[in-house]
Parts: sequence; structure tokens; C-alpha cells
Amino acid sequence: MAIDGLIILDNTGRPIIQSGFRSTSAAYPMLHVDAFNNALPKSHRSGDIDPVIYVPPYNVADSPSACCHVECADMRILCPVSGDVDPLFAFAFLQTFIDILREYFGALSAATLKDNFDVVYQLLEETLDAGGHPLTTSPNALRDIVLPPSLLSKLLSVAGANLNSTINSGSGGGPFSSPIPWRKAGLRYNSNEIYFDMVEDLTAIVNKHGTTLSCSVWGKIETNAKLSGTPDCLLTFTNPHVITDCAFHPCIRLQRWKRDSSMSFVPPDGHFTLAEYRYTPTATATSARFISTGPPSAALAAKENIPIPFLLKPTVELTDSGGTFEFKLTSRMPSQTMEALVAEMYLGEGAGGVKCVASRGDGGGNLGRRAHDTMSTGGSATGSWTFDAKKMAVRWELPVVPPSSVWLLRGSFTSPSSGPRPAHALQVRFTVPSYTFSSLKIDQLKVTGETYKPYKGVRGKTSGNVEWRW
Amino acid sequence: MTVGKDVSGLFPDVLKNMQTDDLEQKKLVYLYLMNYAKTQPELVILAVNTFVKDADDPNPLVRALAIRTMGVLRAEKIIDYLCDPLQKCLRDENPYVRKTAALCVAKLYDLKPELVLENGFLEQLHEMITDSNAMVVSNTVSALLDIHIAASALPSDSTPDPALFTISASVLNRLLIALPNCSEWGRVTILNAIARYVTVDAKESEHICERVVPQLQHVNGSVVLAAVKVIMIHARGVQREELVKQLMRKMAPPLVTLLSTPPEVQWVALRNINLLLQKRPDILANEMRVFFCKYNDPLYVKVEKLDIMVRLAADHNVDVLLSELKEYASEVDVDFVRKSIKAIGQTAVKIDVAAERCVNVLLDLIATRVSYVVQEAVVVMKDIFRKYPSTYEGVIPTLCANLDELDEPEAKASLIWIIGEYADKIDNSADLLGIFVDSFIEESHSVQLQTLTAVVKLFLKKPDSAQEVVQKVLNTATKDCDSPDVRDRAYIYWRLLSTDPGAAKAVVLASRPPISIPRTTVASGLLEDLLSDISSLASVYHKPEETFVGRGRVGADSVSVRKGEEDAFSTQKALQTVAQGQQAENLLDFDAEPAGDGAPSGLAATELFVQQQPAAQKLVSGLSENPLDDLVSIFGSANMGFGTAAPMAAFAPAPTQVRSPPMGNSSSAFGMSPPPPSSQAQSQQQPQDDLLGLF
Repeated sequence: MAIDGLIILDNTGRPIIQSGFRSTSAAYPMLHVDAFNNALPKSHRSGDIDPVIYVPPYNVADSPSACCHVECADMRILCPVSGDVDPLFAFAFLQTFIDILREYFGALSAATLKDNFDVVYQLLEETLDAGGHPLTTSPNALRDIVLPPSLLSKLLSVAGANLNSTINSGSGGGPFSSPIPWRKAGLRYNSNEIYFDMVEDLTAIVNKHGTTLSCSVWGKIETNAKLSGTPDCLLTFTNPHVITDCAFHPCIRLQRWKRDSSMSFVPPDGHFTLAEYRYTPTATATSARFISTGPPSAALAAKENIPIPFLLKPTVELTDSGGTFEFKLTSRMPSQTMEALVAEMYLGEGAGGVKCVASRGDGGGNLGRRAHDTMSTGGSATGSWTFDAKKMAVRWELPVVPPSSVWLLRGSFTSPSSGPRPAHALQVRFTVPSYTFSSLKIDQLKVTGETYKPYKGVRGKTSGNVEWRW
Repeated sequence: MTVGKDVSGLFPDVLKNMQTDDLEQKKLVYLYLMNYAKTQPELVILAVNTFVKDADDPNPLVRALAIRTMGVLRAEKIIDYLCDPLQKCLRDENPYVRKTAALCVAKLYDLKPELVLENGFLEQLHEMITDSNAMVVSNTVSALLDIHIAASALPSDSTPDPALFTISASVLNRLLIALPNCSEWGRVTILNAIARYVTVDAKESEHICERVVPQLQHVNGSVVLAAVKVIMIHARGVQREELVKQLMRKMAPPLVTLLSTPPEVQWVALRNINLLLQKRPDILANEMRVFFCKYNDPLYVKVEKLDIMVRLAADHNVDVLLSELKEYASEVDVDFVRKSIKAIGQTAVKIDVAAERCVNVLLDLIATRVSYVVQEAVVVMKDIFRKYPSTYEGVIPTLCANLDELDEPEAKASLIWIIGEYADKIDNSADLLGIFVDSFIEESHSVQLQTLTAVVKLFLKKPDSAQEVVQKVLNTATKDCDSPDVRDRAYIYWRLLSTDPGAAKAVVLASRPPISIPRTTVASGLLEDLLSDISSLASVYHKPEETFVGRGRVGADSVSVRKGEEDAFSTQKALQTVAQGQQAENLLDFDAEPAGDGAPSGLAATELFVQQQPAAQKLVSGLSENPLDDLVSIFGSANMGFGTAAPMAAFAPAPTQVRSPPMGNSSSAFGMSPPPPSSQAQSQQQPQDDLLGLF
């Protein structure tokens, strides 16, 4: 009733690290590596490979198994499963393991893992039992038993110094002595700080008439706590009704949330996700109109209320040998600036000869330029475009989009004889710093149980991923 | 680990480094031991002393490490030294050591079950369920579950096997108490254990459900699914209807939340949602928009979303659904486009009021003249005609206009079926069918069969104009065709036409029951089983566990286990036999024929049955080797599709008949003694004579 182990593959499909497998057959991990490598070229769009691969047994007597896998930077992590296990369990573990690796090494790549073999193996040992049961996955507890690599420890080990005192002595009674499983005992900080990042992610589909078909905002409260002792926090919101479908970190007392929608918790140490939620705008006049027609449409209408922060006018004309397109993007943000806006459109197999002109239209107040200012070569003044020949997609990048500014991209492309078959949609990604769709506001944070007054910080951040069809 | 180099030669040298105060070094040496102990079994014994000493170390990490490593070594010699330290560690004051020791017991059981029994480790584990530390409890439960699984695979001499883990009411209480305090993985384990508990009364079921509901709010998706599983299982025992409703309502949001996750997780979630919807179609009734596909979604996610969207289709959202499906039909990915068009057909069949709008969308799609779009649309139109006979005849000319574009057998067969069905209403039906009769030999078997039937229909509807073509097709089919199915069907038609045209009319032109979309893609008995397995591979594959991770349990055992529970399995068996007889479908048609005047339904049913099959959802994602699974899907669609009892009754005699090799002996089932099939030439002669007589 558990997963069998982990195998980390590099981008050529060769295993670089694998956990110990309990299975008696030595070929077992290799079977999975082969099954995965065989399945990979069969997927016609990269990444389209089924996430759970069926692996036939090597011997007739053996039982078949399944292989769950995820992509992680330039690597693939496989997770063979032989019993009737929840694949979600495997995926959740893979995700946790990747998070742990990130926590330890920062940006991940096959090279970083190879440089830190010893730490990765120790992590594997501590997080996954040979029987396949996940053990310690909380970063707090892990840092006690596996030291993160640091320049200092490397220097010292080269110099032959012994560092183990930090592990063995362990202030405050050593690892796993804390009564609260997610929090270390005896923490001390010189300055006590706690930061909340409200990260919201908008996903939406807009049809060719500019009507929002589906739109949802998923939010997370990412927290970074550096608090001494065992603080008991009480987080209250001014408008908790805007969020629904919450999922909480186990530290949150659910009873309290049920009673008065405030989050009461003893935080883990360091980075963690306090809660996840879905933003559902409260029923306003528009949705009230729909209530007469029945509750379902009222619910739908309520969800449509989230406005897409920009307006896109795509005009695409196709001919037998290619096509022309013109995209006009207008920011609808009242006062915030959108950043890192990227619009992408797949132009179809064999497309080429892409020529575009990116320009900036009128509007956007004092920053506005003339529309025919098209001679400048890319840059932030007009936005820039590229053609990704591997993905067959044209990419339009606007690093900074001030409020109510207008941007244009005109271009043409050619297609092979079979005629153009571009995607009928643009994918637009963007971020808006210091902004949340839900405008969920923290009222106050009370810390009890400790004498100090912590420094508190709250920040909003929004990213979006909109599919705009034409 | 060693970049492919064999470093087992260094074993003695590495071993020397075992006694060290550096914990990191110790860990790495232990790691080396785990990997190479198998290659140097006789040297491992040298490590025992250090192991035993480490198991007494003041540092709990070292104690745990020693116990953990000893359990993994799988060396006979070590194991005998393992018991004493293990005994001590199970009673260790540090919870980390205790839980590591608990897991070690499971590993020991794997290697030497008798040692576990002799040393009383099992009793100790059972005591540890009452441990004050939730982490210890959850790991103990995993150990006990592991031992249970290992024990149920082994033949046991004592009954009941003490290693089997039965959850009593008091254990259940401890688990429910430990549940909110565990790590996410511990919660999954405990929830799985709770799912196995057999409740005594409704009150207990209610209690369990109420205690588990908060777990639905966990961030970790696997905890959510495990909680859903527990609730689905124990909600069966809840009698208060409003509580069940309330539970189902609470389950929907967490499932939707899973859709904001990476595609792999989404896929697993979607497969599970699909299954849940088959049982409880109402839980996500208002959430269809969440399932809209994005262009970037991987194909496997899109396909699953599409299926769920059709499942959620209802009067109030069908317009939104249709415009969305139309959008998908213009996408680049051919597979997905086809599936979208199929979904339009399914919507039309499912929702009567929307049928006309669906037909209009299909006409729009046909107008695009993209080859695969047109072909798929034709196939779908056929299904719509079968659901709403004689309703959309105005569409037929448009379909026929695209005749030349069709090159796939299924599309051709569908169009031919439509022409045959409405032969009297299409002016040039004889000419159209004539085209296919001319190329009869080159066509694939499914097209040949449809051509044959369509021409006979045409002949029965317009006897004077079609005489020539029917004779031609019967001649070609019986003489030049290499498929026995086609030949046999031709013989039967020939004989029918020659002996009793009235009977032929009753058979061939019989009115068929309209088709309907099966509410479930799996048999209802199997659905219940799968719902108990929610959050497992079984629920992702929509197949019983035994079929893919069987561990040799398929067969007599699993049958006997199920027999008592439901007769669904035996029905399944029966249908399996029926489905085997599918190759002999034509013969089966006639099996019911002479039985009486209810006969036409027999033919209709089988035809329906056969044609429904491709439209039925493919449950099998790359695992279709196992014939049972396909049958299960057939069963599901057949059972739900007919709805009426009559066709099922027509099926009933089938198994008895088909058990003998279908092609050879089935003639004995014919009410009207046809010529013995053993002498092919003779039989060919006879109907020919008969037909001549008729003319």
C-alpha cells in the first residue's frame, strides 16, 4: 500500500539517482525507466504523455505495475507503483520531494543534483522509507537531520573540520522532540518577523466575442515565519466572505475558521503555504438578476464577474498559403501596471516566414507614444516579438504595460501547402505586482503566547493565464 | 549512485568507517551497506556489532538509523541480531525511534514472518496504536496494513491468521483521534484504514463521516481523495438522507480545487471525478465551466474534461456546452476534434430538447469540409438518427453530398446505414448504394455488412427498382467475399427473401428502440467496487484492481469472494460469453428470430449492441490486453443503453448457444433448419435456387 521508490532521470533518459527498492528483482527500476523512455517519443506533443504509464511485468509470474512521472526542470522523476495505490499519493509525494529539493538547492537541474549527491541521498533516505512510506517531509524537521549544503560546510569539510556538533547536540532537546509536529522546538530569532504573500492566479477562457466563458481565481497565502518560541497567531480578515473552497495547512484550527472566519494557528518555521482558496465575487446586481431563473445560473453569473484585466482584439485572416494577424491589446487595469505580459499563438505545423511589427498605440497617459513609432527595434517601448520554431508559435512580449495603454502586433506568416492550421486561441500570461483580484484584506495579526511584538508584512501578487479565442 | 561503477570491492574498507561520530558519514556508510549488502552477504556480519551498539546510542537519530538500516539489509545473518534491538526500540522513549521501529517490523515480516510472531512484535504493534504520538500511530497502522497485505498473500495454517489486521471499534476510535494530528502521509494511511472498517450501525457511519469531513480541506490532494473515499464508503451506511446530501455537497468544492493543480494531478482527479459523477451526477451540476478545456491542456486532460462536460450536460447549460464543443471542433489536434464531435452527438442523444441545436452545429461542421471533421460528423449523425428516427431527414442530402470525401470505414458504414434506413425517402438511393456495391470487394468488412443490409432494405422498400442491385450484392457477397460474417449474412438474407419476404420485412425493417447514452461507463456492480477503491489505481483505470496489479489473485479466488456480494459478477460473466459470440452476431440475430413475433427486437438489439460499441467510451487507456475490461465496458453500455427488458431477454439464450465454438455449431440454434454448413458448396446452391424460385 505504498509507492515503490523514486528514480530521477536526466534529460537523456538515463537514471542519475534512485532510491532503494524493496523489490527483489533488480530489473524492476530499469523496467520503469525503459517503459518511460519508450512512451516518451510516442507522445505527439511534448508533455502529452500519459501521467500514469502501465508497465507490463518482466516475468509472467510477476505482477504488472504502473509508473507515475512528472517533469522537473531538465529532469524527469519517476515513481513506480506496484500495489493498488492512489496515483495522487505518488504525485503528491513527488511534488513534496521536488519542493524539498528546491528548498535545499534553490534552482534545480541535473547538474545541481549531481553536485550534491550526498545530500540528495540523505534526503531520499529521510523522506522515503524503503517500504515506500513517506517519512519526514516537513522542511522544518528535515533541516534538523539533513544539513543543507552551504559554502561554509563545504569549506569546513575540505579543511577537515567536524561539523556534526550542530546535528548531534541540537539545541532544545534535538529533533522530533517538539510537541507540535510541524514546528521545531526552541527556536530563537533576533528579530521576529512574519510575512504574508497573497498570491492569486487567474485562469480564464474568453471567446471570440470577448465574453468570458470561464474564469476562476485561485489564491494562496504564502507565509514566511521567523518567530521565536511557540507563538499562537490569530489572523483576521476584513472581508473573509470573498474567499471560498479553502484548503488549509494542518496548523490552522478548523473549528475557529468555521466559527468566525479567522485563522488561528501556531505557524511552522520558515516558508509554508498557510491556505489555498478560490475567489468568488459576492453576488451583485448582475447576478441578482439571474436569481429568478434559478440558482445554477446565478452561481455562474457570479463567477463571471471577475473582469479580465485587459482587452484583446485579435484579427486573423487565413489564406491558402499562410495568413496575417493583428492583435490589439488594451490594458483595463485602473491604476496598476501589468508586467511580463506574454501572448503566444501556435501557428500550425510547418509555419514559417513570420514577419511582425510591434507597436504601441495611443493611450496610457503621459507615457503614450505615436502609433507609427514602429521603427524602433523591439524593446520595452513597443514590445518585442519572437518566433519559436520548435513550438511553432509566435510570442509577443510586453515587459511593462501601464494602465489603459494600447499595444499592437501586426504580422504575417506562411504555411506549407496543406494550408494554415493555427490554434484558434492566444495564450496570454501576465503578472500584476501588489494587486489581488479578491482584494482580500488582512485586518490584523495577533500573536499570543510570546512576549515580543513581531514585525508583520503583507504583500499581494497576481498572475494570470488567459486563453483568448478568435 | 556510483555512476554505474561497481564499488562492492570496497566493502571491507567502507565497513571500517562505520564507527564514527560524524552522523553524515555514518549515514552514507549505511547507505552503502544497504546497496551492497546483497553482494557481500558473508561480510555483512562484521557490521552487526556496530549496528547493535548504534541501536543503543544516546542520540535518537542514530538509534533510528541503525534500526532502519538493519531492516533493509535483507541479509539472513543480520536478521537474527535484529530482534533484541528492535524489541528495545519499539519501547523507546523517542517517538521518532518508535515509529521507525514500527515500520521495521513490517520489513521483518516480509523476510521472516515467524520471527515477528515468535517475538510478539504483532501484539506490540497493536498496543502502539494507542500511542500518544500521532506519528507513531500512523506508522504503526502502515506497518500493520503492510503485514496484512503480505499475510493475505501467504497461505496461512492457523485460522484466523493473527497477522491479518482487523479494525475493531476501539482501534477505529484511536485512529479518529490520531487523524487530525498526523502528517499528510499519515492521514492517508489512517484514512485508508478507516475505509476498511465495517460499520455496525448507521450511527457509527455518521460518526465516521462527520469526523472525516474536515480532512476535505487539506492542502494535499491525496488526503482529500482518501477522505472522499472514506465518505463514499461510509455514506452507504448513513440513513439520514439529508446528511448524505450534505456530505455530497461538501465533497464537490475540494474536488474542483484539485483542478488548479499540475496536469498530472488534474488527470487523476478528473478520472476520479468522472467515477463519482456516475454515482452522484448532481454533485458538480453547476460547475461545468470549470471543466472547459484550454488549448494548452495536455490531450489526456482534455479528453477527460470533455467526458465530464457531457456528463454534466443538462437543459440549463447545453447552449454553453455546444458552443464550447463547436470551438473544440476547430482545434488543431485531430484526436481531440474527433472526440469533441462525438461529444456533440452524445449531447444530442442525451438531451432531447437540444438535439436540433446539435444537428445544426454538426451541419456547420460539415460545411467546413475538413475531411476528418466531416467523417466524424457523419458517424455522429447516424447515432442521432438512431435516437430520433425520421426527425432530421432534411439533413440527408447534405450528408450524401459528402459521399466522395469519406474514406474511413466507420464513416462510410454510417452513411450507408443512413441511406438504407431512409432508402424510400432518398430519390437516388439506388444509385448511391450502387457505388458501394460496385466497389464491394475492396471495402472493409464493416462497410460490406452495412452495404448488404442497406441494399436489402432498399429492395424491401422499393422492390421494383432494386431487384438488380440486390441480386448483384448477394452474388458478390456469397461468392467473392472472404469474410465468413459477410457471407453468412448474405446467405441468411437470401434465404429469408426467398422463403418469406414478409418475414424478411419484419426482420430487416423492424423498428428499433432508440438508443440512449449510458449513464455509467462501467457496470453498476463494478461501479460500487470502484467507488470503494476511489483514490487508487483502480479508480484511475476504471477497472477492478485484480486486472492490472493482480499478484495472481485473478481467477477462482476473486470469483468466490464476489459471489456472495453481488450477482453483478455473474451477469458480467454471462455477458462475457455474449460478447465472445459477437463475431457470430449475425447468427445470434436469428437465434431469437423463430422464437416468435417479438423477434425483431432481437435483431435490433444486436445491431444496436454492435454499433453502440465504438461510440461507447473507451475506458481502457492503453491497457486493452485484458479482454475482461472491454467486456466490462460493453456490459455497461449495453445494459444501460437498452433500458428495456425485451432485448435483454433476447440475449438470454445466447450464452448457452455460444459456448460451443460459434462458427461451427451455431446453425443448430436456427429454428429453420438451414443447409448444413459443413458442405459449403451445397449450401451455396440451395439458397440460390430458392431465390430463383422467388423471382
